[in-house]
This record gives sequence, structure tokens and C-alpha cells, in this order.
Amino acid sequence: MHFAFDEDQLEFRAQLRALAEKQCTPADIREAWASPLGWSRPRWAALAEMGVVGITVSEEFGGMGLGLVDAVLLLEEAGRAGLPEPLVETIALGVPVLADAPGQQGSVLRSRWLSAVADGGVRIAVGMSSMPAVPGAEGAELLLLERDGELHAVPAAAVALTPRPALDGSRRLAQVDWEPSPSTLVVSGFEAEEVLAALGDRAAMGVGAVLVGVADRLVAMAAQYAKDRSQFGKPIGSFQAVKHHLADALVRVEFARPMVYRAALSLSEGDRDASLHASMAKAMASDAATLAARTALQVHGAIGYTWEHDLHLWMKRAWALAAAWGDAATHRARVLEILLAKRP
Amino acid sequence: MNVVVCVKQIPDPAVPGTLDPQTHTLVREGKLIMDDSDAYGVEMGLQLAEAAGGGEVTLVSMAPAGETSGLRTALAMGAAKAILVSDDALKGSDALSTAKVLAKAIERAQPDLVIAATESTDGYTGTTPVQVAELLGFPSVTFAKKVSVGDGRVHVERQTEAGYDEVDCPLPALVTVTAGVVEPRYPSFKGIMAAKSKPVDQLTVADLGLDAGQVGAAGARSEVTDVTAADERKAGEIVVDEGEGHQNIVAFLEQLKLV
Repeated sequence: MHFAFDEDQLEFRAQLRALAEKQCTPADIREAWASPLGWSRPRWAALAEMGVVGITVSEEFGGMGLGLVDAVLLLEEAGRAGLPEPLVETIALGVPVLADAPGQQGSVLRSRWLSAVADGGVRIAVGMSSMPAVPGAEGAELLLLERDGELHAVPAAAVALTPRPALDGSRRLAQVDWEPSPSTLVVSGFEAEEVLAALGDRAAMGVGAVLVGVADRLVAMAAQYAKDRSQFGKPIGSFQAVKHHLADALVRVEFARPMVYRAALSLSEGDRDASLHASMAKAMASDAATLAARTALQVHGAIGYTWEHDLHLWMKRAWALAAAWGDAATHRARVLEILLAKRP
Repeated sequence: MNVVVCVKQIPDPAVPGTLDPQTHTLVREGKLIMDDSDAYGVEMGLQLAEAAGGGEVTLVSMAPAGETSGLRTALAMGAAKAILVSDDALKGSDALSTAKVLAKAIERAQPDLVIAATESTDGYTGTTPVQVAELLGFPSVTFAKKVSVGDGRVHVERQTEAGYDEVDCPLPALVTVTAGVVEPRYPSFKGIMAAKSKPVDQLTVADLGLDAGQVGAAGARSEVTDVTAADERKAGEIVVDEGEGHQNIVAFLEQLKLV
């Protein structure tokens, strides 16, 4: 089986990288952290104009009509760039839920929201009842919220938000108070179980992709620092105690990346092992990012602990996302559970 | 209004370039990319065509081995079509023989305005655009930092050392633009997909009605006879401040004509 990204997918990533290099510098990320929303509306508009935001929206609604395999490279790049904008929730979680929403309510939701997503006017936040707070709730026009096994689509006007402290300055958290009603219901019962399971799998893959990008950046920053910083008359990267740590972190990232890509492929093709692959991806990506963050901090020494150094912008995202949508231990346990269930 | 933008496809500047030890010319193998300084010209052309309420942007390029990667980037930005001249006989071209080829190719598009960058990132001669203008019989305005078109004329603010000149000239004309004349757009994903089906007219020297002896190494009036490495950057001067350090700074700035 030949599995490689095509020229278009690589070119899309290259263009996102070019945009991020200019519009998402560490100074821009800091500015976003200090802003009320945690991210920037003009940058979201630029991402929408490029086609990033509408990548999974069907062409009927003005999107690119592409899938998760096309999105995965962009999400990884978003992590590498440290983009503050809440892309995963909209691209990989919200849009596919709306696209597959059943019945009359489904087509109403699609025509009301999908073109607006592709145009850059709407962001989607997603919250499960098991979450104490919903990321990106403030600034989202539409919230997909689960309660008692039902999934509801609730416009921002119908929820009350209470901000909660967040580690990552651009991934803001809020407690969401809302009332389910027949008019907000998207799917319930057995059907909802499937929709929510698929949503969780896409979240594991999507967040995993961002984590791989974050981890990659952390290793790159630490490797650069190890070349620049001298001690005992030599760059510290020349010492085994430093370079082996960095190599270990890099190996972990390189192992996680193909697993995330595989999960994206399995999810987009409806592979029956998609859940297994998604959990493997999230477990490995979370571990990789956590190790990369720890190693990068160690290599940087005391300067890495300062607010002024850029390291924490990526490190905090690694920590926040490693815990989001199930941490590594949770997903490893799920992998075990799925494998045991497969035993004859 | 029809605009032609000259686009040079160059080896990626992020990769250290190599020189051919015999000819001392840049080795141009593998994938080429659009010269970053041409992105400004493409954007300017698109904006002017749009402001004029019609017309299109045609790209003109000369590159080895039918290379179109860099042109695709400019087509993805919104240019309508491209003319690419690719011919083994063009190997070893200097600025003038390049200009002869570009001028012939540009004539085919019958432009109202030709836009080029001030100079390329890999060659830096900065002479090709004005030679093209001369061969076309067009007036040329260089170093534009602002360009507008109206009533059959082009109005340019031309960057100078002290400020800028305002230049007005009749169309058709050739304008070279500086980086910063406009902010180039990023190709959208839809633009990237659409670029694949936009026409790229591939021409040879013979198609342009030129003789192989006039172009390439055969027609070149200049050759690179020798190449030497640039001086290593010298260590800075360290001044110990004993109360008069500021005078050293002022003297240094005066020497650079900054004060």
C-alpha cells in the first residue's frame, strides 16, 4: 500500500506555513494571549480566505469538500506554528457532525451554518458533559454540546458562559450553562452513541495532529538552543547528556506522526479499526508532546522557565492538549479494551 | 487592461546554491520556485487589472527543462495564463539575451503594462527589465513603490535615496516594482487547484522567431570570468567607553551618512 500525501496536500501545508511565518510569530501569539478572545479574528479571516477553515466543508457550501487526510497536515502545521485559532474543533469536530446530522434538523443545520463556517464567520466549540469546561466556547457562534447521551447544537446566544482558568493562553476555557430543548437536538439514542464515538475519535486524531506539530516545534527549538548555547567552551548540544535526550524526544515524535496520519486515513475511510487507530494516535502523540516539552525545558535550563522566553507558548499547549479528549493513559486503556474485545 | 508580469523561477534560496566550476553560472537543477521578489509584481498586476475593471494577468518566464513549479504559484495567486520559454539553446544566457527572449514572448501577449521585479534574488543584475523595455520600445519606470493606472497612463511613485519621484508616462510601459509596493496575497487552496488547469504556453527559441545564435551563451555579451569568495564578515570594533563613547557612535553614523 502506498501511503503518501499528494502534491496538493503538501502545497496546502506549504501555504499555511508561509502564512503562519508572517502572521503567527511568537509576538503575535503573545498578543493573542493578551487579547480578550485568546486568538485573532483577522487571522481567522485569513485562514478562511486561504481555505483552511473550510477544508472539510462540502463544495456545495463553499468549502473545499476535502477530508480528514487533507486536514491532518494542516492541523499538524497549526501546532508547529502555534496558531492560537481553535481550528480542530471547527474543522475536525464540528463540520463533520453537521455534515452527517440526520433528518430535517440536519439539513436545517447545514444550510444555516456550513457556508458561514467556510466564509470564516462562524466557529464551532464542542463540549461533553464529562468536561468541566469547554475550550473555545467564548468566540464560538455555535456550540455542539452533549448531555445524557444526546447531542445538541446550541447557538451562542442560548448559553451562559463563566470563564475558567486555562493553562494555554489561547485555548480559553469556560463553563457552559444551557438547557437542552427539542429545537437544539441533533441526535439521540443509539444513533447519538455512534455520532459521539466518532466525534471522540476525530478529536483524538485532530488533537493528536496538533500535538505532533507542537512536539516537533519544541524539539526544534531545543535543538537550536543546544547549538547556540555554549558551556565548557562548546555548544551544549555536543554533550551526550543533552543530545541523547533530544534524540529520544525526536524518536517519540517520529513514531507518533505516522500513527496520527494512519488514524486520519482510517477515520476518513470508515475503517473498522478507526477507533483503535485514533486511540493509538492520541496516546503516542500525547506522550511525544509531553516528553518533548520536558526535554525542551531541561535543555533550555533556567531561561526556559521564564515568561519572556517563547518556549512556554508551545509547552503549555503541549500540556493542555495532552490532557484533552483523553490523556495517554486513558487511550492506552482503550487500546487494550479494543484489542481484548477482538480476541476470538 | 492586459498586464504581463515577468516571473523568474529560481533555485530555492533557502538551499545553498552552487556554481558550475567551468562556466561560473548558477547550477539550476531540480525544482525551481517563484522568486519571492516577483510575488509583489504578480500582486500589483492582479490589483491593477482588477481596478481597471477587466483584463487579465499573463505571466512570462524563461526557465530550463519546461519548469513550471514557480509559475503555478503565481497562477494560484490569480494570474490567468503563462508563457514559458524553455530551450537548451538558452543555456548560458546573460541579461541581454534573456531580455531578447522575454521581449519576444511579451509581444505575443500584447500588454498594456509590463511589470517586473527590480532585480532577481539569484542574479541581482537588475538590468534585464530595462533592456526588455528598450527592445519593446516601451518607456520604463524603475523602483516603483506605488503604481496606479488611469486614462491610458501609468502613474508611479519612484523610490529614490532621498524620497520619491512622481512619474507619469503613457501606456504601454514597463514598470519595475520594489518589495513592499503591495502585500502579496497567499494563494488560496482553491487557487492552487485551479492553477493546475490554467494554460501554460510552452515555447522554444524558434517559436519566438529568434535565431539560436542570438541567444544563450552564443548571444551573450557578458561572461563570468572569475568568481571569488566574499570577504568573511569582520569582527566588530569594541570601544571602551571612558566618557567619550558617544562621540565614536556619532562618528560611525556620520561615516555611514546616517546623521
